[in-house]
Amino acid sequence: MATRTSKLSTTTPASGRAWRWLGATPMARRRALWGIALVAPNVLGLLFFFGIPVVMAFVTSLTEWSGFANRPPVFVGLENFTRLLGDGDFWQALGVTTSLLLLTVPVGMALALGVALLLNQKLQGRAIFRTIYFLPVITSTVAATVVWTWIFQPRYGLVSAALAPFGLGDLNWLTRPDLILIPVAVVVIWQRLGFDMILFLAGLQNIPRPLYEAATIDGASGWQRFRFITLPLLSPTTFLIGVLATIGAFQIFDQVYIMTARTTRGGVGGSATTLPLLLYETAFTESELGYASAIALALFLLTLGVTLIQLRLQRRWVYYESGAT
Amino acid sequence: MKRSLTLFLLMIIAVFGVGFAQAQDDAVITPQACAEGGTLTMRVWDENWAVVIQQAIDLWKAEYCPEGDVVLEVVPWGQYWDLLRNNAAAGDLPDIFNISQDRFPFYRDNEAILNMQPYFDAASIDTTLWGSGMVDPYRVEGDLYAAPVNWDTIAIFYNVDMYEAAGLELPTDDWTWDDFAEDARALTNAEADVYGAAVYSEFQAGYPNWIAATGTEPIVDAARTECTLDNEGSLEALNFLNGLYTEGVMPSISTLGGTSADDAFNFWLSQRVAMVSGGSWKLPAAFEQTTFNWDVVQLPRNPETERSRSILHSVGYVAAANTDLPDLAANFIVFLASDEGQRFFAEAGGVAPANPGLQDEWVAAFDSEKNIQAFVNATVDSQGVTIFSELGDVPNELVINIFDLNMPVEEAVSQACATIDEALAGQ
Repeated sequence: MATRTSKLSTTTPASGRAWRWLGATPMARRRALWGIALVAPNVLGLLFFFGIPVVMAFVTSLTEWSGFANRPPVFVGLENFTRLLGDGDFWQALGVTTSLLLLTVPVGMALALGVALLLNQKLQGRAIFRTIYFLPVITSTVAATVVWTWIFQPRYGLVSAALAPFGLGDLNWLTRPDLILIPVAVVVIWQRLGFDMILFLAGLQNIPRPLYEAATIDGASGWQRFRFITLPLLSPTTFLIGVLATIGAFQIFDQVYIMTARTTRGGVGGSATTLPLLLYETAFTESELGYASAIALALFLLTLGVTLIQLRLQRRWVYYESGAT
Repeated sequence: MKRSLTLFLLMIIAVFGVGFAQAQDDAVITPQACAEGGTLTMRVWDENWAVVIQQAIDLWKAEYCPEGDVVLEVVPWGQYWDLLRNNAAAGDLPDIFNISQDRFPFYRDNEAILNMQPYFDAASIDTTLWGSGMVDPYRVEGDLYAAPVNWDTIAIFYNVDMYEAAGLELPTDDWTWDDFAEDARALTNAEADVYGAAVYSEFQAGYPNWIAATGTEPIVDAARTECTLDNEGSLEALNFLNGLYTEGVMPSISTLGGTSADDAFNFWLSQRVAMVSGGSWKLPAAFEQTTFNWDVVQLPRNPETERSRSILHSVGYVAAANTDLPDLAANFIVFLASDEGQRFFAEAGGVAPANPGLQDEWVAAFDSEKNIQAFVNATVDSQGVTIFSELGDVPNELVINIFDLNMPVEEAVSQACATIDEALAGQ
């Protein structure tokens, strides 16, 4: 590499023009090349293990293929996508994913903010509490979900025991199509809470103290300080968490897979089949790789679309202190 | 005691020895010397099987194919099918591998499996020597594509202590659905939270056995053209089971903790239910984990058809259609199916060998006075697996709808059939 760059710095003007895009001076070009060399391993890895499969998904989505080398894919054009629009299972899965998004994102964010506010105060054993709240994030989703499945077990589970005094001890949480999304949402929220909390904590600690002191002197109440100082100054963090949580909600898969593993995968009648689970089942149970790729692309476009809308809407409510947008 | 038992068994073997040799002469599958050499790859999912199969490989190399070799690989069940799919996508399946009856259609439909019929014919093997449930699901237009390794049948495991405490006579292999229902009711003790029976869970050990007893092919017909759940026989069986469930004689899925037959069996092991339908593969677990007296009995007979029909599943040995060494692969599969190749399974105990000549040895390997023979007898009038993997979880959903969400049988059945018909049309 060293010889390569030293050669570059002594190139003739003619060949230098070809490298001009790297920088105006030999020095700048050399620095740019170093930068490229340093990111190359990562970028190449990304291209190889991510780029190629993504391109393949695009190509596969235009074909019908059962995944056997001796029966090559058949090109069908946009057929998979037109089929998608008329597929009840797809719309149901979109509904399930949307429901989980609405169930988990607002509640999860509100809870995370609440916990962050609590743990931002001077509190005995604050570090221990912060650690405890962060534990679910680093716990294996599979192991945690199995335990939650026991907790929601209808007859002997903790939830049933807790609800028994209200006459709700006999709810079949894991089989009833109208209830199944609640335990799933609880696990998702429980597991995200610590991560969101840490981000909120960081955001809270970035808010300059003097603002609160000034507001207190001006007679602002606790609620007013929260509403007019904390919330606006926290909005970049809130926005970031909102985007991440939304993308996370579009990807909910393992919690559903595990929670319904002992009954019927994806819930009775697909009542808990999220888009990623539908994609998985289409690809690996029904062996329709082309159609599954089309679902994957639809999921990608949906996630992209929602994220773009969020990015656009942020101008209306996100306040950046430095004035940058 | 142990010695006298051994002596007794030796006497039995001596007495039946003649008949045994006779049976072997009748049913024998004779291995043949291989015509060419080469190295085959082979994949199985069960470690214990691999040990037994390795013994067979050694014998094959020593006696029939000195120029041949087999590299045996074990891939655990959890990864087995994913890896096989990856190999299929890459056009690089192992030369020989194990397959299950419900997955066979998918690989066969994609032309990935070698037709074994010409090889069976060349070795003059009459493929009807295996019970219909063992090989029918591996047939396509009359041709057999697999050699069966083993068989599993279903019987009722019952708690003898509970039977005696209730003052009931122990069931015998000629009992009927009515006897079964009567016993189940008598064995139920709601106050002690003890149920009479749990017999509906899962395809293989559950309600399809009861449907089969009415003479109906359970869930899908063998030709894979229609959903059979709305047939008269299916409704009769499901209504019978649902009756026991609504009476409180059978627990719900939520009480059992899941739709798996293992959930029901564990419930039986913990003495929460007196009778459970379980597979022959559960015998080792029953011997090791029970803390009470137990025995097994054949599934009760349907009062009208007078048939007790067990679902039978048989794992198959198949060869990849695109193997470089089809003749050698077929030669080795024939050896594995032969009396010599299967003997190691019979001697190892546990896995019941498909070869009809080796059943007594399998029963004797348990060294127990329990009615193990019930499982062998159940192979005679048995029903092979009719479902296939693309049906997904529909058979389980039906169970949840009826035995957990208390949906009327007719409604649950029509829902299931709608999904199944869709899957059948999409094939």
